[in-house]
Amino acid sequence: MRRPSRKGYFGNYGGRFVAETLINALDELNQAYESFRENQDYQQKLKTLLSHYAGRPTPIYFARRLSKKISVNLYLKREDLLHTGAHKLNNTLGQILLTQYMGKKRVIAETGAGQHGVATATVAALLGLECDIYMGEVDIERQAPNVKRMELLGARVIPVKTGSRTLKDAVNEALKDWVRNVQSTHYLIGSVVGPHPFPWMVRDFQSVIGKESRRQFRKMTGALPDYAVACVGGGSNALGLFSGFMNDPSVKCIGVEAGGRALTPGDHAATVTLGKKGVLHGSLSLLLQDEEGQVSPVHSVSAGLDYPGVGPEHSHLHETKKAEYYHCSDESALQACQTLARWEGIIPALESSHALGYILDHQSRYKDKDVLINLSGRGDKDLAIIIREVL
Amino acid sequence: MTAYNGFYLVGNYPDFELFTEALREGLRYFDFAEIGIPFSDPVADGPVIATAADAVLKAGFKWEKLLESVQKVRQSADSHKKLYWMSYANILYHHGLQNFIERSKEVGIDGIIVPDIPFVESEELKKLCHQHRMDYIHFATPENTDEQIKRIASAAQGFLYFVSIRGVTGSRLLVDDETARKIQLAKEYSPVPVILGFGIRDKKTVERALQLADGFIAGTALVKALGTGEMDNFTSLCKQLTGN
Repeated sequence: MRRPSRKGYFGNYGGRFVAETLINALDELNQAYESFRENQDYQQKLKTLLSHYAGRPTPIYFARRLSKKISVNLYLKREDLLHTGAHKLNNTLGQILLTQYMGKKRVIAETGAGQHGVATATVAALLGLECDIYMGEVDIERQAPNVKRMELLGARVIPVKTGSRTLKDAVNEALKDWVRNVQSTHYLIGSVVGPHPFPWMVRDFQSVIGKESRRQFRKMTGALPDYAVACVGGGSNALGLFSGFMNDPSVKCIGVEAGGRALTPGDHAATVTLGKKGVLHGSLSLLLQDEEGQVSPVHSVSAGLDYPGVGPEHSHLHETKKAEYYHCSDESALQACQTLARWEGIIPALESSHALGYILDHQSRYKDKDVLINLSGRGDKDLAIIIREVL
Repeated sequence: MTAYNGFYLVGNYPDFELFTEALREGLRYFDFAEIGIPFSDPVADGPVIATAADAVLKAGFKWEKLLESVQKVRQSADSHKKLYWMSYANILYHHGLQNFIERSKEVGIDGIIVPDIPFVESEELKKLCHQHRMDYIHFATPENTDEQIKRIASAAQGFLYFVSIRGVTGSRLLVDDETARKIQLAKEYSPVPVILGFGIRDKKTVERALQLADGFIAGTALVKALGTGEMDNFTSLCKQLTGN
């Protein structure tokens, strides 16, 4: 996949919309990352950790029973089998090594569902760095087990009481912390969002998903999939998968957003589908906002997709028609989660259930096609919500 | 040289009438006003200003309505006194950069301050401001290198906003020697006054600011005073800060 422009733009989207105070830190990060990419020692370290610590490569599994039932050939990239239970670790391992490479001693991160928080706390423990995680009060309540996991891993969880007290506000507070402590601290952003170089760097770290997938799929079937499908919140697991197939015109990339309860304002998080150009958290991208330019409240049953923005590269892929974006409702996602559990013995995260739910909702459109879905995380963390909603 | 000082208010806070009155009153004591257009995600603001902005938004804020109150004050205020917007990038992009600048010019706004548009992203907006004879206010910070400060200061219009601390509005004013040196450097290169913002709250911090720079902007303390709903509290703080 292409690199962004020197100023950090993917076409019309991206950039560095942050306080002047952070500009030199971003320049420094950009330079450090350029040299980190070329550093053989560190690249070898990352490779070793990805295989021996995280458990890469993750397999592709052909879902035989479910495929037969719906007449679509379903292949699942099993990121749910990665250490800590989601694709997030690919990025946090990369960035924590980069933190060490830059000589910084403290990391901060934002988290919504708690998956990125856990993945950050994990790698901070691995390298013995100080770690503070910003998390909205609402999310702390609905994702209590992940708060305990982070604390067990030695991180401090800082409750965010401003705004909607969810993921977006956690990012705001983490940005403020970074402005205060920019000399000692690296802000370990968890998705392909934020100011340049984050969207590019996080995509790079997640591109291992796409590289492996392409190789594995060819080995399994002798061909490439017809479709590569992933859920999109900020969009890191999707860009990770898409990056493996961007040069293959026969493979269509599909991003699935959170359709929530309904497509009325405040009831969904379908940013690419319904957003307008805007600036949030450091980049120019599509954004859900009201007629005054205020960021809209959002809703999704899955905390990881409950975000009004989206990575700038997704806005670019959408505008240039290099990828297609659809949405899946709360109800269909919950249904898909149960279906995969019953038919294949796999409980997917509610985020990943959106990707599957979209295919199940439109199975006739994909009849007899080879569809590769990124199963980005496992569903254990969502058990309380699944019990409340359906069991 | 006499000091060049400004004050900050959250647009239409605590309500339309009190805001308009405070804007008028403040302009009697200060040289310029910085009017905040509330935004849902104000990353440069501390709790006092963020809470005030949130209250205005909850009450159903409309930019058009704020334009009206600004126009009213502009018509009666001393023409040497300047009015600046302070808001976030999304508000400007949402209304369309050109449209935003044109509407602002129409009601008598003299320039804009956007804390999440750094120097490197400012080109298009600067051009638009220039075309409409409005000031585009640049920020300098202790993080900037000497070279950057020289470049930013040389390009400054209206005034140069020196963010003296690492943090959000309402934080404490602490200026180390290195920062003091950088403020001095900015003064050497800037054709317009170099103003300290963030952390100015009382007589003591005003004195400290004026030892270092050409003027100051007071925000959080005034917003707090106005939040009491008593104009007298606001006025007496204006007097105290400006020494009138």
